Amino acid sequence: MRRDLPIILLLAWLLAPSWAAGGPVQDLIDRARPGETVIVPAGHHREHLKIDKPITLDGHDAATIDGGGEGIVIEITAPDVTIRNLRITGSGSTVSGEPCAIRALAGPVVIEHNTIDDCLFGIDLRESPGAIVRDNTIIGKDLEEARRGDAIRLWWCHESTVERNRVRRARDLVFWYSEGLTIRENRVEDSRYGLHFMYSHHTVLSRNDLRRNAVGIYLMYSNDITLEHNTMIANRGASGYGIGLKDCDNIIVRDNAMLANRVGIYIDNSPSSVDATGLLEGNTIADNGTGILATPNTHDNVFTHNALIENEEQAAAHGRGTLHLNSFSRDGVGNFWSDYPAFDGDNDGIGDLPYEPRSLFHSLLSAEPNLRIFLHSPAQQAIEFTARVVPELRPEPVLVDPAPLVDPPAMPEGPRDGRRAPMLALGSALILVAGGLGGVLTHGQIRTPTYRRDAQ
Amino acid sequence: MIEARSITKRFGRTTAVDGISFCHERGAIALWGSNGAGKTTLIRCLLGILRCGGSARICGIDVRRRGRLARALVGYVPQELAFHDDARLGRAIAFFASLRRVSHEDAARALALVSLNGHETKRVRDLSGGMKQRLALAIAMLGDPPVIVLDEPTSNLDSEGRHEVVHTLRSLKQQGKTILFASHRPDEIISLADRVLVLERGRIVRDTTPIGLWPHERAVKTIRLHLVGTPEPEAARILLREGFAVHCNGSGLCVAVPRDRKASPISVLARHEIEVRDLEVLEEVDTSEASS
Amino acid sequence: MLCVARREFVDAIAGKWFLLCSLTFALLALAISFVSLSTAGSHAFAGFSKTTAGLLNLVMLVVPLMALTSGSASIAAERERGTLLYLLAQPISRVELLLGKYLGLSGALICSICVGFAISAIVLAWHAGSAGAGSYALLVANTIVLALAMLSTAFLVSVLARRASIASGISIFLWLTLVFLSDLGLMAGTILFKLRVQEVFALAIVNPMQAFKMGVIHAMNDSLDVLGPVGAYATHTLGNALPLILAGVLVIWIALPLLLASLCFARRSTL
Repeated sequence: MRRDLPIILLLAWLLAPSWAAGGPVQDLIDRARPGETVIVPAGHHREHLKIDKPITLDGHDAATIDGGGEGIVIEITAPDVTIRNLRITGSGSTVSGEPCAIRALAGPVVIEHNTIDDCLFGIDLRESPGAIVRDNTIIGKDLEEARRGDAIRLWWCHESTVERNRVRRARDLVFWYSEGLTIRENRVEDSRYGLHFMYSHHTVLSRNDLRRNAVGIYLMYSNDITLEHNTMIANRGASGYGIGLKDCDNIIVRDNAMLANRVGIYIDNSPSSVDATGLLEGNTIADNGTGILATPNTHDNVFTHNALIENEEQAAAHGRGTLHLNSFSRDGVGNFWSDYPAFDGDNDGIGDLPYEPRSLFHSLLSAEPNLRIFLHSPAQQAIEFTARVVPELRPEPVLVDPAPLVDPPAMPEGPRDGRRAPMLALGSALILVAGGLGGVLTHGQIRTPTYRRDAQ
Repeated sequence: MIEARSITKRFGRTTAVDGISFCHERGAIALWGSNGAGKTTLIRCLLGILRCGGSARICGIDVRRRGRLARALVGYVPQELAFHDDARLGRAIAFFASLRRVSHEDAARALALVSLNGHETKRVRDLSGGMKQRLALAIAMLGDPPVIVLDEPTSNLDSEGRHEVVHTLRSLKQQGKTILFASHRPDEIISLADRVLVLERGRIVRDTTPIGLWPHERAVKTIRLHLVGTPEPEAARILLREGFAVHCNGSGLCVAVPRDRKASPISVLARHEIEVRDLEVLEEVDTSEASS
Repeated sequence: MLCVARREFVDAIAGKWFLLCSLTFALLALAISFVSLSTAGSHAFAGFSKTTAGLLNLVMLVVPLMALTSGSASIAAERERGTLLYLLAQPISRVELLLGKYLGLSGALICSICVGFAISAIVLAWHAGSAGAGSYALLVANTIVLALAMLSTAFLVSVLARRASIASGISIFLWLTLVFLSDLGLMAGTILFKLRVQEVFALAIVNPMQAFKMGVIHAMNDSLDVLGPVGAYATHTLGNALPLILAGVLVIWIALPLLLASLCFARRSTL
């Protein structure tokens, strides 16, 4: 046992009454009248707060509320509470009880301009409709992914707005049973699911930026959602989808960029209802392991005006299936495929031949995913070559785009490094290495030695 | 200088060298014997090029344990001259000079000694047989080693070239070098060697002098016999039994004979019902300096 | 030893086959850089871009071929020409001779690799800037290690083979095996026997080509999850040890064949 345990126990006993009685900030809250603004004095306050009346708590960017590593730091039980300009830290870290920085059990509330760190859950809104969560920065506890909590969770919070939040190292931003939300311009990095929808319908998600998460946007059992102008980069975790759709009806995915994810967009049985559809339009899907991945039963999605560029595998269906139940053109306009050998005799911008990818290696991959370890090796080329030479071996095309676009749409700029110097320096360094080696190893051998002088 | 103790070398089932021991201090020693007698293999074992049973020492240095050091004391001229044909003469000798850690000046001196200076930019493959042989000799003399080992040094040369080589070797001997060479030319041996080891099937059968081998050395001629039908090794064996010095190299049988009895081997062979088709008297190496 | 290395280097550089290979390599590297630049603009979101993928494939084809063919000729050809005998009669030990030749040929290979990559680097610098310069340097370094490993293997072949033609035959076969046959065989095995991820991984990295490829990809992406379940398994179970293991495989492929070659050559009872 630790030797200092008695001291800790003593301290705990001494401090416990002060919690029960509430600290200085809690005193301010208790004394405030509804509608008033409580200014939290600048400095570090080791307290747990309970707010049970409609007030505004403002830290003026100088106050910290520290839960000391236990429980919920701020609990709101009344509607019309605003919390702003605070730093909130030190919630509990055991999953039981879901300790968090801010929990609201009533709504609406406004949570804005706060910085939250070292908390298991960040902002947890339960039945707080009309909530506004904006401009918060949330950095999760330094735990492995499975033990982290959600950065923002909305549970039965219709008509809420979540915007311009920045999240790092959390589990999810998750929305349960909430409709009519506005989710925009959030940035989520290094978390599990960047934006996660469960049974939440009728929402627009726009201009969110999701990087290096397990999944960028994951919609499950949620219908009538529009995803617009979102950017999903390098989401390569266990699932690794830029966008994942599971059993969702009437989803519109428009003008998003899915770049360098393991899978650009993953469609699992969406739409799931009869008569429902899905539309993917104008998206840029580039540099992913697989551009479009779908379960074989996926149907009635329309893909048009998308650009599929240099994905290791442009499109695939699980388990040797195909994507033939979906259409890859609308009104005679298909998609741009970077591996399409464009041939456009009539110059109308639409290729004269349909795009039909038939890769034997990729068809083997869908049968035996373990073979992916042989990607980027000459053996892969050998297999493709064989399939080209022996047509009997060519697999069925996984999809047919009857009207592929010839010209690529405009691409978003990647993180370019326009400087020439480092690469030039590298090139020159290589030449120097070669020259130096050559110099050392040919020393005295370039010129044929002659001995005429000595002979005389 | 050169010391061999029961050197044995087997290639599979055949024993090429079978327990050869000898010791040689100064002067020139020749290995005499027909092809396959084990001369070349013995030389390679002595230099540590081949792993073998027994032990060899050069100037007291164990060849197997300290081969590098031992070989630094030996200049070697192989039987078949093989150079990197693309290389130029100057580059070739410079390479061997650096291998033997010899200065450029010494390399130049060695080249001048065989009067190849001035040919440095010639490609090795364009050199004549004689020039190649001289190059090999120059390489062997790099760093002025006390021991020089030659494996049939004149086999590819015309009479003039041969004369030149023998002359050079004789002057080296006079400088006090120890020379070990294999040869199948009695005239060469007579003019150069102080001692002859006669090898047969990998063993030393006689350890003698040229005069012991050919008592009338001044009267000895080498003739080449071309036979009808009969295999040469068989005929060689018969002649050896009769006391002739024989060497068979695939294109006729070379026999050393007294000057006035050139036909004697023919009659010996006739007794064994072997017919001689043609006889050639090989030109003579001037042996008058042999005793000097 | 150094003088043997020097001569070997000069001979290699002057040799037609080597020059042809180097030229091919440089030209193809250049072509890949141009082609990958021309397609679809200049986005580079993945650390592992199309250029690197193309160069990776090129390296895996050409570099082992160069190393194997030039290395397998080294001892065997000298033996056949008779020059080996001459060299061994000089004050140099067999191991020194072998290592000297290895040194010289590796120098030549490294030169040719560096020049090829340098040309392509300059083109990339001009047209695409310096994004990925770090990855590029890593690719070059890994390529050199792969070349050394293949050269080492070739030396073992060269020491053991009786004739130069046999040695080059074996080296071509080895090339085919390492580049194509073993992977294809392992693919078939994976499908037929339903090999588990750890089995596939263990069998795959035995091949220096695969170890090289995974090393490059890991260096660029900091994980192998691009390579499917097997890659993800390796990344997650081995963690930080993974790059060390991959490098270790290549180091073993350098050291072990060279050691065996030295031993065989030194203990050989014939030339």
